[in-house]
Amino acid sequence: MTGSDIIFYLLATLCVVFALLSVTTRQIFRAAIYLLFTLIGIAGIYFWLQYEFIAAVQIVVYVGGIVVLIIFSIFLTQQTGEQLPKQKLDRKIFAALAVFAGFALTMVQIYQHTFFETDEMAITPTVENIGKKMLAVDSGGYALPFEVISILLLAALIGCIVIALRTKTESK
Amino acid sequence: MFIKKYIQEIWGAVKSLLKGMRRTGYYFTHHKEIITQQYPDNRETLNLPERFKGEVVMPHDENNEHRCTGCQACELACPNGTIKVIFKNELNAEGKKKKAIDKLVYHLELCTMCNLCIEACPSDAIKMAQTFEHSVFDRNELTKILNKPDSKIMDGVE
Amino acid sequence: MWSFSNIANSIHEWLSNNFNPTWTIIIEMVIAGVAVISLFAILGLVLVIMERKVSAWMQIRLGPNRVGPKGMLQSFADTLKLLVKEGLTPGGADKFLFNLAPFIAMIVAMLLMAPIAFAKDFQLWDLNIGVLFVSAVSSIMVISILMAGWASNNKYSLMGAMRSGAQIVSYELSAGLSILAVVVMTGSLQVSEIIESQRNGWWIFKGHLPMLIAFVTFIIAVTAETNRAPFDLAEAESELTAGFHTEYSGMKFALFFLAEYVNVFIVCAIGATLFLGGWMPFHIGNWEGFNHVMDYIPSSIWFFGKTFFLIFLIMWFRWTFPRLRIDQLLNLEWKYLLPISMINLLVVTAMAILGWHF
Repeated sequence: MTGSDIIFYLLATLCVVFALLSVTTRQIFRAAIYLLFTLIGIAGIYFWLQYEFIAAVQIVVYVGGIVVLIIFSIFLTQQTGEQLPKQKLDRKIFAALAVFAGFALTMVQIYQHTFFETDEMAITPTVENIGKKMLAVDSGGYALPFEVISILLLAALIGCIVIALRTKTESK
Repeated sequence: MFIKKYIQEIWGAVKSLLKGMRRTGYYFTHHKEIITQQYPDNRETLNLPERFKGEVVMPHDENNEHRCTGCQACELACPNGTIKVIFKNELNAEGKKKKAIDKLVYHLELCTMCNLCIEACPSDAIKMAQTFEHSVFDRNELTKILNKPDSKIMDGVE
Repeated sequence: MWSFSNIANSIHEWLSNNFNPTWTIIIEMVIAGVAVISLFAILGLVLVIMERKVSAWMQIRLGPNRVGPKGMLQSFADTLKLLVKEGLTPGGADKFLFNLAPFIAMIVAMLLMAPIAFAKDFQLWDLNIGVLFVSAVSSIMVISILMAGWASNNKYSLMGAMRSGAQIVSYELSAGLSILAVVVMTGSLQVSEIIESQRNGWWIFKGHLPMLIAFVTFIIAVTAETNRAPFDLAEAESELTAGFHTEYSGMKFALFFLAEYVNVFIVCAIGATLFLGGWMPFHIGNWEGFNHVMDYIPSSIWFFGKTFFLIFLIMWFRWTFPRLRIDQLLNLEWKYLLPISMINLLVVTAMAILGWHF
């Protein structure tokens, strides 16, 4: 077992343990924090794979954006200090079944897929490469998803502005 | 126009912020301006500002005479009852009875050094001293009598 | 010639001659960790006394003047006091998260040290997305503040944490956009390449007015991101006692305190790297003689000089300007800084494409 393997298993254990903790804890704020550690662990795996760009984006989007948003909504809505009520047994069983089905599906896909080794040189993801790939329209380019997501974000922005404007006119 | 106003606002903000920074920058580089007194070390050379207010005193001249007529203006002006004027009757030169102060009692422990009594005094009989080391072991010592024993009112002060 | 990179190289050579590669890497990691921690300690000591002296002189005071010559050893006394104080955990607090929060603040500050180039060829990790790494990792900072505010079970802490969260999330935008201005000019996110691109002049001079605007936006945004006055709503002594760290005492408070100062150092180091050329000496175009004279000053002195100049600038802000209200704070970001930096980024892009910079 090399050092690289040890690091991978450490990161994987971190992800799995905190993922389990985040669904089993009964304090909602702690669940959000455990989720955060899981996401950081995944970013760590990207760093381990030397996909620094993806890792940094993972941290920016999930940790800096989504988890902060989740924490904010917990602060604003929940009785954060209290424990959530215990779930009924049948709900627990169904949730476990659903999770197991998803897990099984993923694992089946992974085992059926034949991974083949490549002897091509790895592309160093410089800013230029990433930018070109992001706007490429040929096969393997990300122009379409990029633009679709832009439209989604634009719609969200416009929605925010509309909501903000309406409350202002009502208050007058 | 909107854009013009926007740019003017930014320009004004930057200008006023720079003005503030110039002031603090001036103080940062000019250490002569430092006003901190290193008090217990420089007790001899202590340099208090002119307007520092330590306690109320009544100045007496060399004949042990003061300027207080006992008009009670200070007593009325005091917001927390620090000053009490106690009278005695005195015979003046023509043998008439005249009201004069026996004691002007001043409670230092109640005083907030607000300066209202000094402003109220019509004959400038009391003023603020610059002493400030007031701590004593017995609080009775803080009740002071401002006029000296056997002092008289100055001639010509009405 | 004496320099940081020579020392690092000779240590590396000595280790590779005496140990096998795995042990070399492990020992080097340990050395780097110890170096970062001792840098933290030194920074804490230096920045605290610097802040206190600067604030005193700007407010026409003397400042600390009892411990050591001219009070210069005051921060040692402070450290000693914080070390021996009891670290209390409030009764209703979430003990695990309460004790975890200061360590997260510290770990984030440590991670941010990785891509900073302290001197020529002296850098812990020159990863190819250095600048993005900094802005990504610094966004974890807000989590430690939210965690501390919530776990304290104190309304002031929670309010401080909420304010701080809103503030950091919104000011990250304009900080990111002004960093992007430099990235557009350089065409790289790698710290070493950004510094290399400033060989014939720093970006703040080469980039004309748009770069100056980006620099000012960056300084304002990072002042807000590190929660320092005039943007210290998160700790606002007069309204929230001390904000998110109200309930902390002893060493746990000291970790937050230290993390704040180290973050100031880091953002100033990033600002110096992006706009003032990092360790690159002051070069003017093709004046060979002048550039040669400037090269005689060691690169580490250039780097620390620039960084401490920016730190002084941020301290100057702190002791000059009054605190903003929360609505003024958000107005400043969303109505002024963000539109300005967006338009500025467009102008910079046009400049980069048309080659209008030197």
